[in-house]
Amino acid sequence: METKLSHTDELLTQYRNLLPVFEKMAEVIPERLKDFFEEAGIIVAAVEHRVKTESSLTGKLQLKGEKYQSIYDITDVVGIRVISFYNDDVDKVASVLERLFEIDWENSIDKRKAHEIDSFGYLSLHYICRIPESAYSVPGHPELNKIRFEVQMRTVLQHAWANMNHDTGYKSGVEIPNVYKRNLSRLAGMLELVDDEFSRIRQELADYRRQVQKLVASGNLDEVPLDGDSFKSYLQIGPFDALMYRIASINQAEIQPVDLSNFLPLFKAMGFHTLGDINKLIKEYSEAAYQISCFQIGLTDIDILSSSVAPQNLCTACILKRGGGSLGLTWMLDVLNGPSEVNKAMAEFLLEQTKDLPFMNQ
Amino acid sequence: MTVTIENTNDMTIAHLVGRLDTPTTAEVSPYFEQLQNAADGTVLLDCKDLTYIASSGLRLFLSLRKVSIAKGGKVIVKSLSNDVRQVFMITGFLNLFEIQ
Repeated sequence: METKLSHTDELLTQYRNLLPVFEKMAEVIPERLKDFFEEAGIIVAAVEHRVKTESSLTGKLQLKGEKYQSIYDITDVVGIRVISFYNDDVDKVASVLERLFEIDWENSIDKRKAHEIDSFGYLSLHYICRIPESAYSVPGHPELNKIRFEVQMRTVLQHAWANMNHDTGYKSGVEIPNVYKRNLSRLAGMLELVDDEFSRIRQELADYRRQVQKLVASGNLDEVPLDGDSFKSYLQIGPFDALMYRIASINQAEIQPVDLSNFLPLFKAMGFHTLGDINKLIKEYSEAAYQISCFQIGLTDIDILSSSVAPQNLCTACILKRGGGSLGLTWMLDVLNGPSEVNKAMAEFLLEQTKDLPFMNQ
Repeated sequence: MTVTIENTNDMTIAHLVGRLDTPTTAEVSPYFEQLQNAADGTVLLDCKDLTYIASSGLRLFLSLRKVSIAKGGKVIVKSLSNDVRQVFMITGFLNLFEIQ
């Protein structure tokens, strides 16, 4: 007993001596990790850290102190937890760690794989890491490269379950009845399914976006439904640019590029279902849109235009040719700029300006 | 052309009076620089008495908008007369600002 106590004391003394280093590591490593995740495009919900307290370490040493020769054998004095939104991001986080640190594979564990096929429960990936000298070292401080630390990687839902399980089933120190254990397992199973579903949906969305980008790039626009994603991809190919350059050439005007995504609700409200419908609008009404601008700015000294003029004029021409008149134009301005009393007056102004243009009589 | 700047608790208000054409744009530029300094908050351009705006004036508005976006602020354009609003519409500037 005496030997065990003195060994514990020795380890605790080592712990106290190294505590400033542990604390510094726990502070700096998560910050560096966040930078690397950002560079890798991985969005994480949180990166937490803690240094094991002396009382917690004492408890651990009293239970299995003889297992450790020195404080360097204890791998979880510094603990870091990376919580991601999607379970496939857990593996991406792991690959970042593999690039940055030396992984102690013998002591690392993938609890996601450790489960029996008919049980559910705590899922997490734990890596025991060390900072390789090749990556970072400080002369006179070899301990920096000797200390191992634990990084736990899990999803938000795994984290939630682990916390609930800890609070209800473990922390109390009282053995809980099987019925509650079973309910916690059911919950774990459900959260595992939800995690998989989130990842599946994200993957499907990514596939859909890629597919849309491919169709847009190949020009098969009739097959692309009009929605936020497809419209965004469509705008990237600059569908209104040719018309806009032509309009700007009237006065050698500077074009101020603006985000045109606010035209999506208008296009949808005009009954367009695919990107092909917008393409048809461009083909059919570009000349009319040009005529509108010729009349509006041709005799002025206006030499700056927003890039929204092209789609705005296309919609104006289309609505007028469909017989929408003043009411239709007021509606267009309401959708584009928000409802306002003055939109009616602006619509009247537009109608007055366009009524004698050649396209109106063709 | 005159510009009067007023600071309230929650915004900076600039009252624009007269014609904002090429010669007067140079005159009022210092006021817009002052507004740019306050562009991390809300800047309201009261255009009730703005009777005309040329491209040079639109550029002043645009520069203020750019600085405001960079600083996380907001530019509100208020009480445009019909004539000035028509210029905003045919140049596509109506889509650029919050118009009241």
